[in-house]
Amino acid sequence: MSSLYIWPQMPFLSITVLVVASMIFLYLARTPMHLALESLSDGIAGGLERTAVWIKSVVVKMQEKNKKVLLESNIAASEQKIAQEFKRVEASYTKHLAEYPALHLKIDESITAIDADFQECGQVVPEAPGWNDAVESIASIKGTASGDRVIEKMLKELHKSAVEGEKMALSEMQKASTKRHKILSSLAPVWKKIQKAMNEVNTRVELVLETSGKIEKYMDEYEKVRKGGDDSIDMLSSKATKLFIFSIIVITVAGFGAFVNFQLIALPMSELVPAGTRVLGLHVSDISALVIVTLEVVLGIFLMEALAVTNIFPQIAGLTLNKRRMLLYAAILGLFFLASVEAALAVLREHIAVTNAATTQALAGKVETAVSTESSQITVIGQATLGFVLPWILAMVAVPLEMLIESSQHVLSKLLILIILLIGYLIGILGHILSTIMKTVVHIYDAYIIIPTQIENLFKSKS
Amino acid sequence: MTISKKLFNAVLVATLAFMAGCSDNKQYETAICALADISGTYAKEKKSMVKIIQAGIVPSLVPGDSLILITIDSNSFNEENIKGKLKLDYRPSQANKQKIKFAEKLDVFANKKTSAKFTDISGAMMLCSSHLKSTQAGTQIMFIFSDMKEELKKGVKRSFNNDEFENINIAAMNVIKLNEDSTDPQVFRSRIKKWKKRVLKHSAKSWDSTLDPTEIPNYIDARR
Repeated sequence: MSSLYIWPQMPFLSITVLVVASMIFLYLARTPMHLALESLSDGIAGGLERTAVWIKSVVVKMQEKNKKVLLESNIAASEQKIAQEFKRVEASYTKHLAEYPALHLKIDESITAIDADFQECGQVVPEAPGWNDAVESIASIKGTASGDRVIEKMLKELHKSAVEGEKMALSEMQKASTKRHKILSSLAPVWKKIQKAMNEVNTRVELVLETSGKIEKYMDEYEKVRKGGDDSIDMLSSKATKLFIFSIIVITVAGFGAFVNFQLIALPMSELVPAGTRVLGLHVSDISALVIVTLEVVLGIFLMEALAVTNIFPQIAGLTLNKRRMLLYAAILGLFFLASVEAALAVLREHIAVTNAATTQALAGKVETAVSTESSQITVIGQATLGFVLPWILAMVAVPLEMLIESSQHVLSKLLILIILLIGYLIGILGHILSTIMKTVVHIYDAYIIIPTQIENLFKSKS
Repeated sequence: MTISKKLFNAVLVATLAFMAGCSDNKQYETAICALADISGTYAKEKKSMVKIIQAGIVPSLVPGDSLILITIDSNSFNEENIKGKLKLDYRPSQANKQKIKFAEKLDVFANKKTSAKFTDISGAMMLCSSHLKSTQAGTQIMFIFSDMKEELKKGVKRSFNNDEFENINIAAMNVIKLNEDSTDPQVFRSRIKKWKKRVLKHSAKSWDSTLDPTEIPNYIDARR
């Protein structure tokens, strides 16, 4: 500081002269200095503001693209769902309605049987023997009214025979009615049969209707997604985020399962593969164990694909049912093989652990204590079961994996948009702060040259 | 360039990258050398010393590790002083068998009557150092079972190279106090201090003289 003094022995005077000189200089350079500061402010703050605006426009574009991708992917997913449902309807028709002609024939036969029985049941009133005509003829004979005894006797005989005939006819009619009642009672099981068949028809039609109802529901969803309204986009976005979070949780748990699985087989693998070499710092035996665990996940993916639970590979989805079935059997067989290998390795692991403990004890000079065989068996069984079950559980990871892949695209893009947006806001704020600072600097500048400015104003007012 | 050539080049690059990632196990192995003093007053410590090796060092070895036992006598820089060598197989079952066999060998050594008039610690350390270096193991440890009082025979010269103990961790184990040490502890302390200074001057990675035998597994694990 002292080097700036004009007269080092008089610092106060030196500073006063410096201040006055600078004040005069800054007063005279006021206009160009103001312009320079304004340019600087425009350059920095304006640049930052423009950057913020550009970032916002980029974000808008990204949001649009993200929406488009979300809609397109959901349209594709809905189309796929509908196609799958149609396939199910086809299968349902084939399965449930294939037997319909036979069922129909059965109902027809039953109805024909009923019809025949009904015809047979038709009640015909038996006619009385032809006595009436005989009586009428006798009555018309001349002299019947005079009380001819022969005719009277004849009529009595006729009356007797008519009564007997009536009795016989009644008895015949009763017999026929009993027979018809029997036929009618035999119709009951046929009715039940028809009712059962009709119920069956009803159930099958309901199943077909249910599938059709699902298609209708999917079609509604599809329509909504196609329209691409804000509501549907919000719904799809929330659905994707939810799926992402759930799949992350499930995959994390599966990751721990894979770690346990790896730990279970890594040690015994060193007995099977040459462990004298390392790749990227890992034992070959460890890598082998990792490969087994990874293979289980891969086979699980194929299993789920073959079962049409997931749809990661379109080629598999396009396979015929027979080929798909073959793939399914191959995946199950592969998993069973790996699970069996793991169970065997788990048993070997327990054996190695026991030997290690025994060796350490022997080296320490301790007398080997009698280990309970029962508890040792339980550990072996437990480890073998774990070794057999874990691969099947790991195979299930294909489902959350597909969910994660599907939802991550949208969620990560959303996250990126948020980060860029935040950067944009920060740049905007920084631009605003810098602009304010530059304005303040101009005001401070004006305040510093207040004395010459006031003198100028005084002269101006006088003139 | 045709597609097949491009593919071939890509496969070649990937294979080379994989090969570069491959390495042998040596840098991950641990080589341990135990120096057993059989001279003078320390000779009676032989059995307890063998017990420490059996119960502390041998169980701490993992497949791939190696152990060498060298005795300290009047002229230790001699191949005959190597009393046992152990290089563990990578198969755990085989490694366990080797450990048991080596422990039996140590028992035979403990029961054998041996003695020496002089104590050539430096010679044993030099022999041990050259063997540890030849293993190229990533971790090299030297355990010295001795009272650390060196008495060289007339005419025996011992001077270390500057890098004699490079990358080697040295621990003086079961250092018993001599009569003169009891009379004046400073004698013992200065003797140990002198050794520390000497080995560190010749590039030893670390020096330890207060290690409890039960802490051996932790000591080895910490240096792996």
